[in-house]
Order: sequence, then structure tokens, then C-alpha cells
Amino acid sequence: MAESSKEFSIVGKKTPRIDAYERVTGQAQYTGDLQLPGMLYARVLRSSVPHAKIASIDTSKAEKLPGVKAIIHHGNAQVPWSSGGLTHRRYIFNNPVRYVGDPVAAVAATDRHIAEDALKLIEINYEKIPHVLDANEALKPDAPKITPNGNLSVGKGPFSAPIEESWGDVEQGFKEADKIFEDTFITKHVNNAQMERRVSIARWDAGKLTVYASTQGVSNARTDIAKDFGLPLSKVRVICKYMGGGFGNKNQAQDYDYMAAMLAKAADQPVKLEFTREDDFIGMHGRWSSEQHYKVGVKNDGTITAVMLDAVTNMGAYRKQSGNLSGTDFYNIPNFKKVVKPVHTNTVVAANYRAPAYPQSVFGFASFLDQIAFELGLNPLDMFLRNRAQKSKGKLAYTSNYLEQCIVEGAKRIGWREKWHKPGATAGPKKHGIGMALGGYPFRPGLGAATIRINSDGTAHVLVGVTDIGTGAKSTMAIIASEALGIPLNQIQLTNGDTDVTPYSVGESGSRTTAFTGPAVVAAAEDVRKQIFNLAASQLKTKAEEIELRNGEVFVKNDPAQKRALSQVVAQAGELIGRATTNPNFPKEMDGKCFSAHFAEVEVDTWTGHVQITRYVAAHDSGTILNRLTAESQIKGGVVQGIGMAFSEELIIDKVTATPINPNYRDAKVPTHLEAPEVEVIFIENYDPYGVFGGKVVGEPPITAAVATIANAIFNATGKRFKELPMTPDKIVRAVQV
Amino acid sequence: MGEEKKGARFSRRSFLKSIGGGALGTAVVSTGLIKTDDAAAYVSETVGVGRGKTAVALKVNGKTYRVQVEHRQTLAEVLRDELGLTGTKIGCDRGECGACTVIIDGRNMYSCSQLAVWMQGKDILTIEGLAKGDKLDPLQEAFIEHDGPQCGFCTSGQIMSGKAVLMKNPKPTEAQVRRGLSGNLCRCGNYNREVAAVLAAASKTS
Repeated sequence: MAESSKEFSIVGKKTPRIDAYERVTGQAQYTGDLQLPGMLYARVLRSSVPHAKIASIDTSKAEKLPGVKAIIHHGNAQVPWSSGGLTHRRYIFNNPVRYVGDPVAAVAATDRHIAEDALKLIEINYEKIPHVLDANEALKPDAPKITPNGNLSVGKGPFSAPIEESWGDVEQGFKEADKIFEDTFITKHVNNAQMERRVSIARWDAGKLTVYASTQGVSNARTDIAKDFGLPLSKVRVICKYMGGGFGNKNQAQDYDYMAAMLAKAADQPVKLEFTREDDFIGMHGRWSSEQHYKVGVKNDGTITAVMLDAVTNMGAYRKQSGNLSGTDFYNIPNFKKVVKPVHTNTVVAANYRAPAYPQSVFGFASFLDQIAFELGLNPLDMFLRNRAQKSKGKLAYTSNYLEQCIVEGAKRIGWREKWHKPGATAGPKKHGIGMALGGYPFRPGLGAATIRINSDGTAHVLVGVTDIGTGAKSTMAIIASEALGIPLNQIQLTNGDTDVTPYSVGESGSRTTAFTGPAVVAAAEDVRKQIFNLAASQLKTKAEEIELRNGEVFVKNDPAQKRALSQVVAQAGELIGRATTNPNFPKEMDGKCFSAHFAEVEVDTWTGHVQITRYVAAHDSGTILNRLTAESQIKGGVVQGIGMAFSEELIIDKVTATPINPNYRDAKVPTHLEAPEVEVIFIENYDPYGVFGGKVVGEPPITAAVATIANAIFNATGKRFKELPMTPDKIVRAVQV
Repeated sequence: MGEEKKGARFSRRSFLKSIGGGALGTAVVSTGLIKTDDAAAYVSETVGVGRGKTAVALKVNGKTYRVQVEHRQTLAEVLRDELGLTGTKIGCDRGECGACTVIIDGRNMYSCSQLAVWMQGKDILTIEGLAKGDKLDPLQEAFIEHDGPQCGFCTSGQIMSGKAVLMKNPKPTEAQVRRGLSGNLCRCGNYNREVAAVLAAASKTS
């Protein structure tokens, strides 16, 4: 296999998406675009109180509304939702309800307006229970208990609590330090807010359940549904062809998939259940908020000797994911101790949002290092360079690590040495600032599967279970297949996201698609190439080892004039099928990571608090870039999401009513065209020996460093350190005008 | 228009009707809408408001469709559910995100914030009507080349707003494009690409 990008035929180029035509013509069929004959429409009723026992639920009036076909609630549809609650049993409808927005009932009717009308006719009698909204309050002994075990979210294995990690000897590390600093940083609940509202269509045919889902993983969605409905896997089919974003909150099967299935069963008709936009903000989850307390020991030259992190993360009423904080990953820390407490409160659930454990704590830790550099009189660039990660967890070697080059090249591009100045040094009301931070995301391999059919005309058909949530995963898989097969991309058809047709996929989350399914595509290609070479060897009267396939042509390696069209070779066999299930791993003493260094210049208007990002440079080490076009889009988009988290986004829960008061785009303030700067992308290309064609991962890393980068630029502009997100104009004005 | 019963609770769709049709003014319209919605969070719309049906002739992409629509059905719903034109997406259904943008009488508008009954006699262009046969609109080609869609859910709306910008001003500046598309959210954050695509299409069609 080629080991430098120069030898690739398609890897590393700027390749438009294989489904771009469908996406720009409106032909791409997303889940919500599908209509099945006789399909009903469903809506969900949610709790209006934060913590209460449902004493009674009366659906009789709603049932009488013409057009209403089925109503389900905890009394008649108590289906467990295993992946929705990892530390205590969660059902699709829970009694007691544990937050404002907890589903109470769902209605299927002949149209969505009737379903909405019916929700208003359902009468619920709540017996209120005391509630708690703040994570620190929830940990107090007299706080209302949200789970039988209390509010520290203790689960098994990776969901044990508190989350603890340590190496070296922190006490010794602090003794070796010249100075010790302590500070606290706070981040808020931010919604994934993907454009496609959650939607699911369920249909039963003779005991077999088909779910057209809007999911990031058809395979794990099927496994979840089969488990929770007590069905064999063969009786569950999950299909997702086009998917309108998720950023981590459409992993696995979700409660709306289950509700659609239960309604379809009750009504004996297919059911489409759509969330409203408000449902989507409060009914699923966003990024966990955090309070991070750091203690950092440093030498006078800035070298870190020890780090302690004590943190609390607010997971809301149910624990769907880890609640961890990992922003210290990008630094060389000889002595380290971390204690993170994931906590339950009577608020909207928090779980995975793009690089789940990172932007919060990259903000905290990189802000703090920037502050420490200031206290020590150091240029932050030198501070970050000096302390950049060189080993994982203090001891493991990285499979590849070009973090230093990210820092050096990014700094050069933005002109750091010329532009950096003492914080707050600009005269006048508009202050210039420049800032930087380090980020990235784990790169790890794992279980993947792929099937490739070579048709008798020499075209190829690739079958993979992946969904494409916008990353370009379908295109990436087709590019990998094209490169590995030696067949041009336009001769390759790809079928994805259908558990009855496509093989297993891990699910498009955690930046795993390329790393997990990619190797399987390569192996399936190698499998079918062997078959092609055996056929060609007899046709060309040579040995299989002497044959090569490139650009759709089969030829003898040292006599390329001896060739045949692939179609001629395959025709005799009808078709050939290559298959592979792969599960690669790193050697024990190694770990994988993508790295990034981000740089921003800002102009802070000290009169209005408005911050303009005037320049943004993102330098990334993701190994070989398989498709430069879609990879650059990923980086640009991740930065924009970080900008929203930095400046404006926060789901605000009213302290009196416990109700989210801004569950919509306008009031949660996601960035628009007007807030997005041009993001200059630098790829430090290299060949990771454990990656597909040397590639690591791209999807999650770009959001990780963005928030801290902006915060540090604002500090350089104003001399004021913002320790709580979001950095809204009012906070900035208050800080700079004292 | 004014069919709500006296004293009926102020619902989103009755509000829509009361403000009259035809205004693009996403800023103005959505400001009012959102306030109404927030106040009405988890509070019922009055059951039965707008249940009557009216025959409307909808001129969409040059074809005229006669459809019976409920008064409370939005243009976005009718395009998708009745005419099968699902290229127009509904991201928020409350005039905030722009995924449902179509061009009505030459102006880009949120089709979730227009009632279908208001559309009699209007000329509606959707994403499905941009290509001429197999020949894509230069803007669609530019969106392919510049990787305009990530997840693609906002793409139809971005393209329709881009088209409206170019119909008014074939040579817009970057700032004009940004402003012209600013009512179209892209949560994938692909704004650089979408603006680049519109500018590229503008330079191609010179």
C-alpha cells in the first residue's frame, strides 16, 4: 500500500461528495421526507413540572377527537430505554417525571395538527416532589434524591462515579513547582441543535419492526430496539439513508423511535413521530455543563510539574454518557490527578455533543495556562510549545504526533511573533487581541465490516452500515474503496445505512467511522482483488502475484501491455464478492490522538462588548487527509460551533419554574453567517502507521480548541480573564468598563 | 383571513393570520412569532381553529396545482405533504432557521411562516425548480464544487436565498452575500463554503 500521499490515486484530493447532486437538488430523502401509505403523525406531550409523581392521566377527551388513533403513556406503554439511562432504569415514559420536558404521553393521529390538538386534551394530575436544579446543590446530603442512589451518578464500568484518573505523584509534583496556581472555570449547557428535528417512522409487518430512523448508527439502533422490545435482531430493521446532523445526540436508538413503534403497534398503522424544535432542544440532550477547579504547579520557565482537576458536571435527570472532562489531554503533565463528579439534577439531560468531554475543559485548562503564562511573564506561544503533549497519560507513545508542527505552522501563518502584545495594550475603545489553544481528539481503531461486489461490467458496489451525518462518511468510504480496489470513483456505487442489507457499523459517532469501518473496506477490497487476480492469472497465463489492478484495468505488473478490462476478467464469474470484518488494535504501549493548534485575532469593542473575529487559523494533525474538500469543511464547521459556545449559546433554565426558557434557535443564539469568520485550515499531513492510508480522524477535533482560543484572544485584547461561558457582550462590557 | 373565534387563545397560526401575508421581513415577523411561542410554550392552541378547507391554485416551479388546504396549513407543509416537494425542509417550523426558504414572487421567504391559503396567484420557486431538465443551475453546481452541503438539511434553503440574492444583484460582494444568507442557519457551520459557492456562481454567470 502506498505510504506517501504522492502515490495515491484519489486519496488526498479535493473530491466532491458522491451524493452532492442529491443534496443540492432536493432529491436526498431524509427520514422526515418519507411517506408510507396509511401513515399516521405523532406528537409528544412533555412534563410541565420538574419532579413529580403522575397521580393520574386522563386521555378520554383526547381519544374522542376525530382522527386520533392511538395514545400511549406510562400506564400502557412502559418500554425500557436502556441507552437513555445508564445508571438507573429509564423508560420511554417515566413516573415520576424528573425534569420539565420528560415525556408523558404520545398521540398518533391522521395529521399532525390533530395530534397537537389532542395533546392539549390530555389531563394529568401531578403530585409534586421537591426538585434541585444546581449540580452543587444536588450533591448536598439533604437535596431531593432524583435516583434511589442519590444524585452522584454512579453506574458500572465506564459509568462509575466519580470519574478518577491519576498518574505520577501530584504531591511530589507540587513540591517541585516554583509556583502553584488555583482557579475555577464554568461552562454551560449547550444544545447540539442540529438542523433536522428528530423524526422516526415505524412500521410493523407480520411481527417484524422496520424503523426509518434519523440515527447516527443503524446497527446500534437495531441492537437497542431488539433488546428493549425483546425481539430477535432478525425482526428489527433500521434504515437511515440521509441524516440532517446530530453531532452526538442521535447515537443509538432514542425514545422517539420506541414511541413511534409503540404507536404503530397500537394503531396497526405506520407512524411518523416528529419532534418540534422545542422538543428537540429539551427532549433529547445537549453538552454537559461543568464547574472545573484546577490546581497547577509550574516551574518559573512555565514547565508544568503537576495538575489536579476537581470538577462537577451536570448530567440532568438521566445519565446517557460519561460526563467526563478531558481538556488536559493535549499537555505533558508528569503528575496528574482528576476527579470528575457527574451529577443528576432535575434539568434537561446532558450527553454527547461533538467531542463530548473536550471544549468545556479545553476552555478551562487552556485559559488557565494562558493566565499562568501571563503571571509568569511568558509569551503564551512558548508556554503551549513547552507543555505540549508528548506522551499519552504520562507514559504511552503516540502512533503519530505532529502537535509541535501544528503550533509552529499555525503561529507562523497568523504572524504570532509580530502580532502578540501585552494584554490590553491597544489604545482606544477597540482592542486588538490574539490568542491560541491546543486541542484534538482520540484516534482509535475498532470493529468494522464491509462488503464489495464487483459486477460483471467492472463496476463496484460497496455496502457499509455507516450513516452520513454530514461528515461525508459515504464519500470517504467510496474513496477508500476506490483507492484500495484500483477502480475509479465514478465506477463505484455505495449503499449504506440499512441493517437488512448493509453489514455492521459502529455508528457515526466518536470520530470512529473512518478508523473502524475504513480498514474493513480496505480488507474487503483486498479480498476481492485476490479473487480478481486468481481469475486474471489463468486468463493471462501468469501467477496471481504478478497481476495488478489499477484504474479499472487488470494487467501484468512487469509487462503492462498484457492487460484486460476488469469486466472481461469478472464476466466469467458472474460477479465477485469481497468481504471483511476487521478489528485492529494498537500495541499495548501505544495510544492514538489527533492534534490541533488554533489561533484567532479579535477586535473587542469595549463600548458595546461586541467581539469581531478578524482572523482564524486552525492547524490540524489528522494524519493523511483522505478527502481535503470535506475535511476542510469539517474544520471550518467545528470552529463555528465553538464560536457559538464561546459567545452566546446557553440553555437557560428558569430558577423558579425549572423550565427551559430559550429552547429554540433564536433565543439559544446559534451563530449565523454574520458571526462566522473565514477559517483558514492547515493540515500537517503525515502518515499514521495505524490509520487507513495513514489517516487518523477529523470530525470531532475542530470544535475542541475553538472556545479557549477565542477566550485567550479576548484576554490579550482586554487584559480581562473570562472564567465563565458564554462570553456575552454584557459580561465583556462589565469587565472592561470597571 | 380573520377566521379565529372571538376570545380564542392567541395561537401561532392565528397570529400568523392576523399579521397578514406576503412580508419577507424575517426579522420583524419572527420577532413577533417567537414571543408568541414562548408565551405559549406547553399551552394549547385553541382546538379547531383553522380547520376549514379552501381550494387554492398554487403555482410552483411553473406548474399550477389545485389543492384543498386547511387554513392552518403552512406553505411548507403543503409543498412537502401534498405536492411531494420534500426538497424544502422544515427545521424549526417557527421562522428562525431558514431551511424552508423558497422564492415567492422573486423574494426569499420562510415557507413555514406563510399560510398556503395566502399563496393564490403567487409565483413560487422551490429547490426542485432550479435545474433546467438535467442542467443544474450554476448555483447548484457551485454548491457541489465548493462542498456547500455538509449534512445538507439547510442546503435547499441556503441555495434558495443565494438564488434570491443573485436574482436581485448578479454581482454581489461577499458582505452582501453574507447578509443575504443570514436568515439561513447552518448548524454544521459550513458558512464559508456556502458564501464561497454563491460568489463562485456569481462569477460564473457573468
